[in-house]
Amino acid sequence: MELSETYACVPSTERGRGILISGDSKSDTILYTNGRSVVMLDLNNPLNVSIYGEHAYPATVARYSPNGEWIASGDVSGTVRIWGAYNDHVLKKEFKVLAGRIDDLQWSADGLRIVASGDGKGKSLVRAFMWDSGSNVGEFDGHSRRVLSCAIKPTRPFRIVTCGEDFLVNFYEGPPFKFKLSSREHSNFVNCVRFAPDGSKFITVSSDKKGIIYDGKTCEKLGELSPEDGHKGSIYAVSWSPDGKQVLTVSADKSAKVWDISESGSGTLKTTLNCPGSSGVVDDMLVGCLWQSDHIVTVSLGGTISIFSASDLDKSPFQFSGHMKNVSSLAVLKGNTDYILSGSYDGLICKWMLGRGFSGKLQRTQNTQIKCFAAHEEEIVTSGYDNMISRISYKDDQCTNEEAIDIGNQPKDLSLAPLSPDLLLVTFESGVVFLRDGKVVSTIDLGFTVTALAVTPDGTEAIVGGQDGKLHLYSISGDSLTEETVLEKHRGAISVIRYSPDLSMFASADLNREAVVWDRVSREMKLKNMLYHSARINCLAWSPNSSMVATGSLDTCVIVYEVDKPASSRMTIKGAHLGGVYGLGFADDSHVVSSGEDACIRVWSLTPQ
Amino acid sequence: MSFRSLSRPNARSGMGVADESKTTFHELQRKKTHRYVVFKIDESKNEVVVEKTGNPAESYDDFLASLPDNDCRYAVYDFDFVTSENCQKSKIFFFAWSPTTSHIRAKVLYSTSKDQFRRELHGIHYEIQATDPTEVDLEVLRERAN
Repeated sequence: MELSETYACVPSTERGRGILISGDSKSDTILYTNGRSVVMLDLNNPLNVSIYGEHAYPATVARYSPNGEWIASGDVSGTVRIWGAYNDHVLKKEFKVLAGRIDDLQWSADGLRIVASGDGKGKSLVRAFMWDSGSNVGEFDGHSRRVLSCAIKPTRPFRIVTCGEDFLVNFYEGPPFKFKLSSREHSNFVNCVRFAPDGSKFITVSSDKKGIIYDGKTCEKLGELSPEDGHKGSIYAVSWSPDGKQVLTVSADKSAKVWDISESGSGTLKTTLNCPGSSGVVDDMLVGCLWQSDHIVTVSLGGTISIFSASDLDKSPFQFSGHMKNVSSLAVLKGNTDYILSGSYDGLICKWMLGRGFSGKLQRTQNTQIKCFAAHEEEIVTSGYDNMISRISYKDDQCTNEEAIDIGNQPKDLSLAPLSPDLLLVTFESGVVFLRDGKVVSTIDLGFTVTALAVTPDGTEAIVGGQDGKLHLYSISGDSLTEETVLEKHRGAISVIRYSPDLSMFASADLNREAVVWDRVSREMKLKNMLYHSARINCLAWSPNSSMVATGSLDTCVIVYEVDKPASSRMTIKGAHLGGVYGLGFADDSHVVSSGEDACIRVWSLTPQ
Repeated sequence: MSFRSLSRPNARSGMGVADESKTTFHELQRKKTHRYVVFKIDESKNEVVVEKTGNPAESYDDFLASLPDNDCRYAVYDFDFVTSENCQKSKIFFFAWSPTTSHIRAKVLYSTSKDQFRRELHGIHYEIQATDPTEVDLEVLRERAN
């Protein structure tokens, strides 16, 4: 089993705060974090992505060393890990630097020292140390609240500048670094500080919508970004151009601006970059930026990454997006083109195409959370944590019709019968609801706690799984169910049931790590002892030719069994998704698509044994 | 004050071991007349008896097939393998087969009698305690044997 493609997650963002992304101009990659993963994305080919998942806590920043060999990344526990940028990402060193989360991390230009700033919970908020030994190279007092950003002057004489939530910009001389002076020019959180590549100036940007330019050696204020045509919202991040004559700023007013910085240190607006396709919603607020060689990268609150070309600012940018949270459902749809629909629990539905990657976000009118998801051709049915079922019809990326139906109880699982026109079965705590044509036609109380459901595409047979592990088979006539038989094998609550594409078999999986394949006609077990997971099974999928079953579990493994061979000759993918596998599908008979807690979607190719 | 010894043996059931069981094990060990032996506790005679033996031509899958799904057993299997230094070796595995689907009474009976029975079998190289089919996978044997 080999990894064929990865559709990466996007940086995790938080309203009201900026994110600091970084990159390496030699390899043209950008670095950002999502959950416990550090993502290295190739700007020229977003499908070329490498993910590091060794942090024990959510990672916050990551930065390449000046020689491009190492990456230092920090997380919310205050730990900095330094690891190799290539191949297996071997760990070099790990230091516990601060007592709280690390908000910014910078290497010195010679690659020997690292400065980290963040939340020290009252103790030290900034620390600078040697990269290989961890010994301190200075004392950093002067801040009383969270230090949001720090920067090291790239040329001699070395200086460190830090800025934070106490509205102060502090200046340290060294090494060994000592407090020199403090500047209180801003009237709100100072979000980012960056030195020009030649070290002559540095700029600080703040939530008070101002950007102030200082002299790099003496820390005297030189000028400001001109307030006319300035940003109308908090400025979250700033990045210098490689030649040091321009800066890029991004702001909560949903625009990015490029400014010319004169020798005397005053900034005049050159252009405002507006991202096309932005509909003016909160998700379009820009929270992160990076100017790397010819690429200008901006990141929005909703996770859309836009790459502009610095030499041609009027050209519309290359945009792509992805998921930020656990991708809990996946559906592989075949139509004119084969594509994958993925839904995450926060209500985001994205479309992906094999070989191309991100293909669009579904623009929904009501952004309800998604717990269960079923998709067929041009229709998606979702249920969330309220009593409503949402039916969405869509064409391309636009929703043509979206309606919500109240079924009176919290839905636990749902199944579509596309051939029996418009039949939708939804289970709730103790029974099943029949929906035809978008209306509730009957509610049946089954008398046991229901956990999972599957219905044949022609709507004649349904299987309901219970909390006790029993599978109840029903035949459907009109709007009622007649119980045919009860199958007992599972020793835990049933989590998922799926019919095979040729309808000759069905497979069920439970919370006790076991899966069973049954013959539909004889109701006998066809394949058992599928017990190789070490935690609950979350999802199950059949291959299109009905010869293989794949199961995905909380233990991060995906196991593919062949129905004709004993369960012991299985193919395992270990560590498919950090945090657990929640969605599974077969793109074709030799490719498995999986999605999980790490907000990524991966395509695996099966090599026949 | 008196301190009880820290290494107190686990509960014992007072089960006997039939002579036939011991001789069959010796045949497997010395004369290599069997590939595997499956033992069962005969409650009426209150001793461990031989239930089934397999001839040397039988495979590991045949052995697994003779272990019942819902009842406990003891078993010994003679495992032939080639080490990383390319030498042919043979090691004897003792299996305490106690599937989770079996009766609690059977599980208690077999676990309390195990130590007494094991003491009679000299020359076991490895012991495997298995509660479901995944724990008696051939991979498990390969990992343990060296």
